[in-house]
Amino acid sequence: MDAATTANMLQTMQDQAGIPSHPLIFQILMVFTWIPHILFVNISLGAALVGLYAFTKRQDPNWQLLSEAMTKVAKVGVSLLVVLGVAPLLFTQTIYDPSWYASNVLSAAWVIGFIFTLTIGYLAWFTFYLKNHGAQAPGWIFWLGVFGLAMFLLDGFIMHVLAYQGLHPEKWLSWYTPGGHVDMSGTAIHAFELPRWGFFMAMSLTVFGAFLIAYGDYFKVRADRAPAYLDFARALGAKIAITGALLQVVLLLWWLIDVPAQVHVWTHPMTWLLAAYLFVLLAAFWLARSNNAGQGYRLLAMSIGMAALVSIFREVLRMAYLHPFNYDILNYKVLWDIPSFALFLFTIVVVGGLMGGFIITLVYKAGRVQGPYEADATVTKLGNGSLASTAIWVVVFIGTGIWIWLRNNG
Amino acid sequence: MNEMLGLYPQWYVPGIGTAWVMGIIGTIHVLASHTSVGAAWLFALLATKSVHENKPEIMVYLKKYGMFLLVFSYIIGSITGPGIWYSVTVASPRGISGLIHNFVWLWASEWVFFFVEVIGVYAMVYLIGKIDNKTYLKLAWSFAVASWATMILIVPILSFMMWPGNDHWFQTGSTFDAAFNLNYFAHLGVRTAFMFAVAGAVGGIIASTLKDRETRIEITRFLSKMGLAGLVLMSFMFMWYTLTLPDNARLIMDTQMMPRYGKVLLVLLTTTALYFMFTAWKPLQLRQSMAGAMTLAIALFGLWPEERSRESMRKPYVAGQYIYSNQFFSRDVPGKGVKSDMPLIKANGVLATDYFVPADLHTITPENQLRAGSLLTHVMCANCHSLEPNGALRPLPALFGYSKEPKMIKAYLDGALYHGMVPYMPKMPLPEDEREAMAVYIASLPGGSKKPASVAINQTEIEAKGVN
Ligand code: HEC
Ligand code: HEM
Repeated sequence: MDAATTANMLQTMQDQAGIPSHPLIFQILMVFTWIPHILFVNISLGAALVGLYAFTKRQDPNWQLLSEAMTKVAKVGVSLLVVLGVAPLLFTQTIYDPSWYASNVLSAAWVIGFIFTLTIGYLAWFTFYLKNHGAQAPGWIFWLGVFGLAMFLLDGFIMHVLAYQGLHPEKWLSWYTPGGHVDMSGTAIHAFELPRWGFFMAMSLTVFGAFLIAYGDYFKVRADRAPAYLDFARALGAKIAITGALLQVVLLLWWLIDVPAQVHVWTHPMTWLLAAYLFVLLAAFWLARSNNAGQGYRLLAMSIGMAALVSIFREVLRMAYLHPFNYDILNYKVLWDIPSFALFLFTIVVVGGLMGGFIITLVYKAGRVQGPYEADATVTKLGNGSLASTAIWVVVFIGTGIWIWLRNNG
Repeated sequence: MNEMLGLYPQWYVPGIGTAWVMGIIGTIHVLASHTSVGAAWLFALLATKSVHENKPEIMVYLKKYGMFLLVFSYIIGSITGPGIWYSVTVASPRGISGLIHNFVWLWASEWVFFFVEVIGVYAMVYLIGKIDNKTYLKLAWSFAVASWATMILIVPILSFMMWPGNDHWFQTGSTFDAAFNLNYFAHLGVRTAFMFAVAGAVGGIIASTLKDRETRIEITRFLSKMGLAGLVLMSFMFMWYTLTLPDNARLIMDTQMMPRYGKVLLVLLTTTALYFMFTAWKPLQLRQSMAGAMTLAIALFGLWPEERSRESMRKPYVAGQYIYSNQFFSRDVPGKGVKSDMPLIKANGVLATDYFVPADLHTITPENQLRAGSLLTHVMCANCHSLEPNGALRPLPALFGYSKEPKMIKAYLDGALYHGMVPYMPKMPLPEDEREAMAVYIASLPGGSKKPASVAINQTEIEAKGVN
């Protein structure tokens, strides 16, 4: 399809209902909510890989402990990455609806397969987790874990395909009608980009490595964790992170070479910023490699910074890919809906802040003491706030609802 | 008038149709999600009881149940939640798009609750016995309310799919006018009641394995009472719910859903009530297998019909009584600036206005007529009808009595469908040559194993329904 027709098509496919707030709001939310998603993807994939590797060496007590701990990290991590994926899923289809829906429908069977494989992969991992206790854990469960991880990798690949196919609107029609015959089966994967997918996988090593160093620091205060074990974890983390960062540099280069010339990726400052930052990160890991006690949080924070740059880069790239087709979210029709936007702000600030803050602070503080934990003044206040905010939220929402309902239907 | 159609490519699943794919994922999700919300309340109520009556044994149950809850509800619930979303995306992209663009801030708010809920469930399970009671209760109750809030926030969207219920939203385009539609509170009531009922059944799966006799009796009774209360409330809410439905839904419910599922639902309701009475009377007789069977029965004989009915009853629409199931806009929505697709397809047809048509099909010729007819029939009908003779989803050949007569089929397309006279089917004012091509294609579909039934289309019957 030529560029002009593609541009018209995209414009027609955008939802006529428009969007209820300024497009930049959605774009910023999309980019920033994707950061935690990919961070948990990274931590989970890394933890699953290391948990499995450590399992094969479980005769050694350090590896055995690590295997159990990382199996659990991956278990919690995957459930979080799923919830965290929901927010960018929502925002991407608000402003990039043509790309997202077309790409999904064209590979619909894979989309459904994604749900199915994620479910059984997770159940397999969960079973592995339930049985992975002590040096005596049966060997066969290793394969359950491998199966789980394989499914997660496949799902990451499907995610990648869905994101990537959306960048090529000029090809949708030919993918849908190969040889002039309409293919409604949704069974094909039409396009993927290995270095791009590989980059996110390598990123998993980096982020997970940093996580492992931070893990070593976090448990320093707990008498029941041997310092030798924590040193071991940190040293391993450093090695993994360095490998990951190196691979990322290589894969980024390959990825950039693979991007079509009309996208002009080389002249974009974001490209160079990301590349430079990767070198800085690599250097930071390298310098901390032999003595990294107490550096975990800093390195993890730097890795989160990298994830933020990656997220922005991904968006910059998307804008550049769609630019030849005049697709610019700033032209999206806006019909402001203030009440529902206010509801969101209230919810995220008040409920998210108080209840989320309560739980995270509580878990963090309770985790650092051995034995029972008695709430301190901050946690007590947060707890009250948490309860009050959720209750007030319900009263306000239902109250507004009754009022509007009576007005409209009375 | 729109210049082109904003249709997407289409996904077609032979045999069962995309509607069943959504139905299957939907059933699993509804079971898991309602269980988890109901269980959140159960958790909070029992934790309170444990603290106030100083019964730490109850916490033992909670710890066990929480673990189960994690796998069963959260994992399954939180994967199948996006799962429904994904399946609706591929089955009905414009339908989901319409919902997203109306409700994005509601969904985003739901996401906030969803997120605190998922971290909350880990905290609830891992912190039992680790933190002081007061703090634990604050956690448990915040969690219960937040869980319910996710339901409070998704029901506006589900009930809007049925219909706005009045003209306000069409004029204002306001999210809250759409959210608090006529159907909303009754729908919320049914689901809230149901979550207590199903949590009562699922809770038994673990309660039946408790070692301590007293605790076991106490918890099982508690579950039974909660379940019964849920059932009673649900019956009343359901009656209210039916009063808030649009005519097309009432018609489909009375003529298609009730004859098909009515008896099953009644039997299920009675059985569940008897089950709860029995477990309240003889709590120690409750076996894990019984609770499991009860849960499964609710899913298969309660939720599956419910999911299928909800999908059927909002026919011909998929959302808001402005998006037809086959993805066309049926009317203008001034409040949003949405324009009906009907004038466009009446003037120019579908083949010339849909971007996803192979180049050689834009105009119909004798050579491509069959292929054009195939594409058109898929686009216009396949969202609601299987094209295989024995397909599971209202198979089209069967509904035409396996007719091999293009003329007869075309008469139906020219009349009832062209003028939009069938209350549960979209209006399809297509040009002459497109109707012709569809008729030729439908007539070419293979016949079924059964003998041609008496022809299903009976013009007077349709008109009778049409006036309804
Ligand atoms: C919005 C969903 C929907 C679409 C789209 C749709 N139908 Fe139907 N159709 C139904 C429903 C619901 C029934 C009732 C089926 C039953 O009785 O089990 C039905 C019934 C029929 C019947 C049986 C006669 C009758 O009036 O009950 C025929 C024939 C039929 N459809 C033809 C078509 C054709 C041809 C198309 C495409 C041009 C089409 N339908 C598109 C929903 C739809
Ligand atoms: C194990 C499971 C998962 C893995 C490994 C994974 C991994 C990834 C990766 C690698 C990307 C980047 C793709 C690219 O830009 O090429 C991505 C993007 C994304 N993921 Fe996930 N993901 C998983 C599950 C989920 C789930 C369950 C959701 C939704 C609830 C989700 C929502 C998203 C979204 C919305 C994007 C951005 C798409 C876009 O930009 O258009 N992911 N994911």
